[in-house]
Amino acid sequence: MPRQKRSRHRLKRAVAPYLYLSPSLLIIGLLMLLPMVTVIGYSFQNSAVLRRDPSFAGLKHYQAIFNDPVFWASLWHTLYFTCMSVVFHMTIGMVFALMLNSDRINPTLRNVLRVLYILPWLFTAVIIAVIWRLLLEPNGVVNSVLMQMGIIGSKVEWFSSPETALHAVTFANIWAGYPLFMVSLLAGLQGIPKDFYEAADIDGAKAYQKLIFITIPQLMPIIISISLLDFIWTMQVFPLIWITTGGGPIYSTEVLSTYTYKLAFSSYNLSQASASAVVILLISLGLTLFYIRYQKAR
Amino acid sequence: MAEVILENICKTYGNNFRAIDQLNLSVEDGEFLILVGPSGCGKSTALRMIAGLEDITSGSLRIGGVDVVDMPPKDRDIAMVFQSYALYPHMTVFENIAFSMRLAGKPKAERKKRVDEIAKTLQLTSLLDSKPANLSGGQRQRVAMGRAMVREPAAFLMDEPLSNLDAKLRVQMRAEITSLQKQLGVTTIYVTHDQIEAMTMGDRVAVLKGGVLQQVDTPKRLYEAPVNAFVAGFIGSPSMNLFEATLKGGELVFRDFAIRLQDAAFVGRPALRSYEGRKIVFGIRPEDLYDSSLESGRKYQTIPAKVTSIEELGSEHIVHLNIDAVRVDSGDPDAVEDFGLASNAVARFEPASAIHSGSEIRLAVDDGKFHFFDPETHLAI
Repeated sequence: MPRQKRSRHRLKRAVAPYLYLSPSLLIIGLLMLLPMVTVIGYSFQNSAVLRRDPSFAGLKHYQAIFNDPVFWASLWHTLYFTCMSVVFHMTIGMVFALMLNSDRINPTLRNVLRVLYILPWLFTAVIIAVIWRLLLEPNGVVNSVLMQMGIIGSKVEWFSSPETALHAVTFANIWAGYPLFMVSLLAGLQGIPKDFYEAADIDGAKAYQKLIFITIPQLMPIIISISLLDFIWTMQVFPLIWITTGGGPIYSTEVLSTYTYKLAFSSYNLSQASASAVVILLISLGLTLFYIRYQKAR
Repeated sequence: MAEVILENICKTYGNNFRAIDQLNLSVEDGEFLILVGPSGCGKSTALRMIAGLEDITSGSLRIGGVDVVDMPPKDRDIAMVFQSYALYPHMTVFENIAFSMRLAGKPKAERKKRVDEIAKTLQLTSLLDSKPANLSGGQRQRVAMGRAMVREPAAFLMDEPLSNLDAKLRVQMRAEITSLQKQLGVTTIYVTHDQIEAMTMGDRVAVLKGGVLQQVDTPKRLYEAPVNAFVAGFIGSPSMNLFEATLKGGELVFRDFAIRLQDAAFVGRPALRSYEGRKIVFGIRPEDLYDSSLESGRKYQTIPAKVTSIEELGSEHIVHLNIDAVRVDSGDPDAVEDFGLASNAVARFEPASAIHSGSEIRLAVDDGKFHFFDPETHLAI
């Protein structure tokens, strides 16, 4: 029947896209949405996971973590760690990208530098943590070089001193993460028409004016996109801090991810850990919404 | 305003490729000079050397009497309009036009006053707050002009500024740029590969080929008295028809027919007699060929031709023909080999012509408009 055939064809056309999407939707649902909803549920329960019939706790666990000074310290450390990382990732990435894009540098040297600069990206978080633990240990290379240069008088325990530990892990994270910016900005730089710079040369622009008035505005979409993504990712960094300092000494490098982990797997307070995880989720969600809105506006 | 003088300018690239060879050119104060030539002839390179965007390998370049060879672009007192316009997409029209003044640290009020004046001249006042992406091609072109004008330079350099516009707009902008240049009286060097732009816009036209200057002259002189077969073929659309012939007893002998030469042909060209009995390159423009069946063609001698195709343009017919003669290549690398239909000549007939494809006709030739070139050097005789 032609009419039946037509309606079957229409149904097929309407359903086809969802059939194609269904495997990924199923995986996302099972591995992401379900755990997320479960964790949100746990944060409102007493003795979640540990008891078969947990009672409703309301906002008790949220109150508990908000009254915990370690939580606020973790939040502050997370913000410091994240902001410093993003700012320096961007600055270092930009400087290296500009260097690699400059035709004043010999092409062979440029290729060598390109490989060298991208190296940190090749290492996993565990290797980066181990490298920096070795470099920054009291008898490590960094102390020895700094002492020889006369910058420090005695050996510094970078990861073991509460004054330096947070800066040390932030430094290690900056080192590990700038290549993403460098590669993205380099691609952006290569897309800026040469005419813009030639027109600016004729108009009398100095190098810094070309950077401010042409390069940075042209790269702004990339800078904003990558910065937002980096902010979201860095906020959730766990392995680097866990392996280097474990959040210590005396909570000086405790961030929201290690704080949550400890609540869950050291104190077995899974309800409070869930509340802390939900706080991280809300902050990340806010940034993600901002990112999506920015992408849509473009 | 200033004169621009190029003396023995050469440009050699690292691989020993010589893009410009001994270029001598003198552009007078307030003159509109067109640099024209086929792709890769070095016209853009020459312009970029004047702008300071390319180094000059050897030679001297003076703008307003000052040797600028070692000067950076900003100190040469020139402004350039790029083929792509090079408008900054993140800036408004106002910011684009005012950019050089901003760099120079000019006060806001002065910037506004000057930009407003220019916007008024270019009819951009209502668009000052728009971004380039929201403008049409013609408007962008005008903003690019505005950005050049704001600096009140000694010379304007324009690198194919109309090539991104559609055909209709191009005609309009051609007239706008020409009248603006006359109004401002600024020395202008304009690069194009479009010989119609060259012929209609410039006070003088410099024709380049392979980095070598072929001829600098007024458009009329270039058309009427090309110095060689290349210029003859390059200037004029459709191109001049060039054929191999032998000069014998006052006649041009082709394979199967001959054209009698009038005494006048020898009067202006005493050297022509020395080609007696020798091969010669004979040239005639499509507009100097006529349909012998029409009044306009009756007074001229005729040669046999076969019509291969006709392009009816309304105001005229472009007629592709085959005549029994060997065609000569003018040396224009951009010339389209449109002789797939076995045609080797083009004529421009009045629309009254009733010829049709495939017909054998008698082609009238205006014997007062012949051109002759040496078969070896291709230089005009």
